[in-house]
Amino acid sequence: MLIHLPIAQIAVDPLILVTIGMLVGFLSGLFGVGGGFLLTPILIFYGIPPAVAVSTQANQVLATSIAGVSSHWRDRLVDTKLGMLMLSGGFAGSTIGVGIFTLLKVFGLIDTTVTVLYIVFLGVIGGLMAWESIGALRGSGGDPGRRTRLRAWTRVLPMKRRFPRSGLYISIIPPIAIGFFVGMLAAILGIGGGFILAPAMVYLLGVPTRVMIGTSLFQIIFLTAYVTFLQAAFNGTVDLILAFVLMIGGVVGARYGAIAGRRLKAAQLRLLLALLVLGIAGRLVYELYVEPVPEYRLEQAQ
Amino acid sequence: MIARLLSLSLMLATGSSAIAQPATSGDRPFMPAGLAQESIEVTVNFTGSRVVLFANTPQPENETSGLAVALIGPTISQKVIRRTSAGEEVIEFVSAPSVFAVGSEPQVKSTVLPETLARVGLDPGASAQPRADLLTSPDLPAWRAAYVDIMEDEGLYVLDAAQIRRFDGGLHRATITLPINAPPGEYRVRAVAFRNGEAVGETDQTLTLARSGLEATLFDLSRQHGLVYGFVAVLLGALVGGVGAWFGRKS
Repeated sequence: MLIHLPIAQIAVDPLILVTIGMLVGFLSGLFGVGGGFLLTPILIFYGIPPAVAVSTQANQVLATSIAGVSSHWRDRLVDTKLGMLMLSGGFAGSTIGVGIFTLLKVFGLIDTTVTVLYIVFLGVIGGLMAWESIGALRGSGGDPGRRTRLRAWTRVLPMKRRFPRSGLYISIIPPIAIGFFVGMLAAILGIGGGFILAPAMVYLLGVPTRVMIGTSLFQIIFLTAYVTFLQAAFNGTVDLILAFVLMIGGVVGARYGAIAGRRLKAAQLRLLLALLVLGIAGRLVYELYVEPVPEYRLEQAQ
Repeated sequence: MIARLLSLSLMLATGSSAIAQPATSGDRPFMPAGLAQESIEVTVNFTGSRVVLFANTPQPENETSGLAVALIGPTISQKVIRRTSAGEEVIEFVSAPSVFAVGSEPQVKSTVLPETLARVGLDPGASAQPRADLLTSPDLPAWRAAYVDIMEDEGLYVLDAAQIRRFDGGLHRATITLPINAPPGEYRVRAVAFRNGEAVGETDQTLTLARSGLEATLFDLSRQHGLVYGFVAVLLGALVGGVGAWFGRKS
């Protein structure tokens, strides 16, 4: 059975799309990442035009994040105060990021910059997480030490506030700064930023892994709603039929991902996320340096 | 539908030109022809279609006589970009068919020269038109070939897309496969009859591929009421996510 997508203008097998949505939703619920960095390349590989894939994944991630965050919310594992602070920084950062994206595009540097940035961030974050979580698994298997030199900066800055849900008493500047930086990167890289934000919350702010997952999903809801609205309203590239089919699988997968996450140790979760991040980095290195690039390509003229 | 096909066949078999459209070229005789279906609806369950053309080729026929047909899609502007060691080179085709599905009888393939096919508008490789100043560029054939290759990979250009069946008295039935990802718009079904390697008759029929039902509603909403479409997209995500969360709590 095939269905025709009105915006993508191709016929697709809905069962395959439901399966893709379920897989990405599972990872989203498990790790607290949106999953856009996985979903977009999978959709493009399946034959969805890139512009439609990038826009529609945001809509799917919105639904899976809402479904995924609910169980964390019920377990009181969402720090809304911290999430809102980072979100405010994220909106400002993404606005500036869009400007940088436009400049890079004008100078013809966008493709290489995006790929190299992806590889650097994914490689560094994935490597550090893997290193730390393996060490933790050999020890207690809990969260990284709460008092490290890395996080000393969050305590010396002014404007300290309590974040009871995360058990933190830190300045509000670091969360806003991290949100800003991730928002800027997210706009340049065209993703939600969950896979950068999640480790940043654990390692730079000291948010417990389980609270990080719910809080990260909480922010992703607002960011993806914003992106979905902009892409649908001004570019018309969100395919609602495609999004709906992906959402069906996504919300089911997110639910089971959240359940699976509760059965794993925090360090095991971080190690799995690290392996996922390193896998994506490896794929990008392969694409950039190994995979042959076609000599000719098409672009719609304005 | 069957009655329409029967009456169409009868009219064509008797040589009536009542349903034939005017041909584009003045020096070749019109060929009586008609489409079994002049419009096709694209709905959410659209999975491609077939276009059936009946045509009556000019008499007398010999062993070199044959028919070639093409389904040519809405024209668009496209840029072809070539990666080189020095950077990127770009050519813009200001008018290029978005679909080109062509097919012919075996005797046409063996007796008609490629230049003749290009002259009568049945060569996909000659269909993309650059700006006037680039028409004499020595690189143009390579750019056009690259364009055809890419479009073939996307399934929009098909070089053996038609099944042609010949009946008594020069009546032909050509069935052309319409690609599954063909964009809606106005299409042209072109048929040319050949004898001794030369065109002896031609016809052009118009086919409309139009969105319908939910497909049309969503597409029109996205293009004409962007803000509403954006709101609906966010609402859909929130609704499905909310239902998923509710089911999660219940279970």
